[in-house]
Amino acid sequence: MGGKRKKNDDSDVEESKAVSSNKKTRTTEKKDQLRPSMIKNKEKRSEVHAKLKHQKKLDKRAKAKTRDAALKRALELGEELPEKKVPRTIENTREFDETVCKPGDEEELFAGNDADEFSSILHKQYTPKILITTCRFHSTRGPAFISELLSVIPNAHYYKRGTYDLKKIVEYAKNKEFTSIIVVHTNRREPDALLIIGVPNGPTVHFKLSKLVLRQDIKNHGTPTSHKPELVLNNFTTRLGHRVGRLIQSLFPQDPEFKGRRVVTFHNQRDFIFFRHHRYIFENKEVKKPESRDKKDKDGKNENVTEQTTIARLQECGPRFTLKLISLQHGTFDTKGGEYEWVHKAEMDTSRRRFFL
Amino acid sequence: MPRTTTVECAGCPPLRALTFDVLGLIKVVEARDKQRGVAQVVERWGEPESSKCVMAVSMVDRNSQPLLAVARKNKKIEVLSPVNGDIQATISDTSGLDVQSEENNIVGLHLFEKQNSELPSRCCTLLTCTTKGNASIRSIEFADSSKESSCIDSPKTWNVCSGGNILCCKVDGNENFALFGGKGVEINIWDIDNLTKIWNSKPPPKNNLGIFTPTWFTSATFLMKDDHRKFVAGTNSHQVRLYDISAQRRPVLSFDFRETPIKAVAEDIDGYSVYVGNGSGDMASFDIRTGKMLGGFSGKCSGSIRSIVRHPQLPVVASCGERYSIISFHLVCFLWMKRLDSYLRLWDTKTRQLLSAIFLKQHVVHVLFDSNFDVKETDLLSCKEQNLTEEVEATPLKRKKSARNKEHIQDGSERKKRSKHSKEHKKSEGNDGREKIASRNEPSKPKLKKKK
Repeated sequence: MGGKRKKNDDSDVEESKAVSSNKKTRTTEKKDQLRPSMIKNKEKRSEVHAKLKHQKKLDKRAKAKTRDAALKRALELGEELPEKKVPRTIENTREFDETVCKPGDEEELFAGNDADEFSSILHKQYTPKILITTCRFHSTRGPAFISELLSVIPNAHYYKRGTYDLKKIVEYAKNKEFTSIIVVHTNRREPDALLIIGVPNGPTVHFKLSKLVLRQDIKNHGTPTSHKPELVLNNFTTRLGHRVGRLIQSLFPQDPEFKGRRVVTFHNQRDFIFFRHHRYIFENKEVKKPESRDKKDKDGKNENVTEQTTIARLQECGPRFTLKLISLQHGTFDTKGGEYEWVHKAEMDTSRRRFFL
Repeated sequence: MPRTTTVECAGCPPLRALTFDVLGLIKVVEARDKQRGVAQVVERWGEPESSKCVMAVSMVDRNSQPLLAVARKNKKIEVLSPVNGDIQATISDTSGLDVQSEENNIVGLHLFEKQNSELPSRCCTLLTCTTKGNASIRSIEFADSSKESSCIDSPKTWNVCSGGNILCCKVDGNENFALFGGKGVEINIWDIDNLTKIWNSKPPPKNNLGIFTPTWFTSATFLMKDDHRKFVAGTNSHQVRLYDISAQRRPVLSFDFRETPIKAVAEDIDGYSVYVGNGSGDMASFDIRTGKMLGGFSGKCSGSIRSIVRHPQLPVVASCGERYSIISFHLVCFLWMKRLDSYLRLWDTKTRQLLSAIFLKQHVVHVLFDSNFDVKETDLLSCKEQNLTEEVEATPLKRKKSARNKEHIQDGSERKKRSKHSKEHKKSEGNDGREKIASRNEPSKPKLKKKK
């Protein structure tokens, strides 16, 4: 910089004037654009920045005020409410996917459903019977997780893995008329993968398991009863998602005991499947304003005019974990000779807005 | 801005393909635009029913009276017209089978193109092969679609293997030899006329650790149309092997492809490149003379590939003489394939670019080309022909061509003679090429051994 300046000093006065004039115009531009990052003096910059921030805040407040006013007026006059803006999220700007099940292709979808491996269970011809086992070596959180899985899934039986091959276990399960096998894979004393195998000819699904929180670590957790739970499957939209959803559905009995008030939720969001296990309760509570704030709306009729309102309260019990689909393989477990229906490949992750489930 | 559109496909030239899925539906996919059309499902034949799952298909792809045979899971074989989907004959395959088990499905089906002279015209000859290895050849006559049509003569049946499961069954271009192979079954080649086994392969030796990989062929294809001596087979242990009957019983060349079993192998018409698809949705083309990969076919593939079909040399073109056939070579090189993720994808073989991907809602089992698509609809759109002729000469020729085709339809016998003639002609040419390939293969052998 110094050298440059010297050069400037050496050069004609006119030129320097021109430069200064240039600088002046630039500063005015700065003020117009109000970009604090272009200011080099820190004090000045932070000042401008604070000013800008404040202005923004005011604008926002004013905007909200006018919006609220418009809404209020519309309510008073009984007019149509102004349109509510929907924020643009990754989910609602999802890439177009033609495999999403739409109304109109029910015929083929249902025929496909009837033909798949789970239809006999889902039509209550069989009651699901689950075999839970582990990888060869497991300890610490693995057994704890399995004991909680046993309390979540009815009619599940834990078998020690021993040194048996998984293919042998599949054979065994076939003979003993199990309907699915769940293998909890542990790495470094932490469960990190879940393998669900449909028996006798169902597909094999490999999930990555993460964010496992056991019952003990959940604050104010409850202990589940042995009633058959209700199942909530959210957002399984595509054909692949549909299939995974049906596989999960086939793990649970199809006749929930509502008396138990247990809900097991598999919520799919951006290809991550969140597992939650809750117990719900309806309470009559005296509230001055009847506001229904229940997310899991088991009853839609809480518009009571009286002060007594029914609210649903949730208590979380059982583990909490997240699954991500790695592969869906046709037939029972066979990594070498298996035929995959879907495999996650790195080349598919080119967009944040493409989801497969 | 969020990218809300998917990667665009280049679009494909006019063509017509038939896809067969798990629910027994046959869907017709057509691309009609002259230049870069979007392939769409235009027709659907049949009602969805899981017992009608398609096991094997075969088509006689010709101008006059094309036929399509479909073997279903309920052991029925239907002969359809690929033009409109009318069922011409149905036979149930219970007669020839002694074992009535679930597993004994039909895995191989071939509809013979050449017809017996003594048989009436309204009939066709079929080769079927079941998982247990019961092969049979029968001729059936077309009756009314309501009745079950019966075989004319008693079917010639024989057993291909004593144990194991047959997984692949192919008939060579001249329809004299059939190839069978599968899980625990080495590849057999049978002379169809005399029903004698002429050759069977020998497993490769144990490796340096003394481990023997069990035989498990999943797919096979003859390398050239009029040469039954060379074929390529894919194994469950992700190996692609080239066999030469005239050379040795062990593979002449073998190489690995990725890590999941090879599920589909298809040959190119040039006689040396093959397309290989595997269980996790990878596909690539190989130069079989050297075993080098020419390139992979990418395009968000995620499901197992069940069949690969190359667009056949257009019969329209072939009937017009050698000159056109050479041209067609460069122009129309497409590849169809299907996969377990229920997409039908279409690639260009030269650029290996994805031209089109069609979602078909069910797991698709097979795909076939109807290369006579435009010939039948000359009035509507004779795009393929145009495509070719535009390059070659002006339009008058096209008319001539279509006129010629009609002639062919009228007198099939003459056409057959002519085609035979041309085949012979090709053979003489092909022989030279084969020898060349063989000589090229020789030096590649020791290389491979070194690698191992």
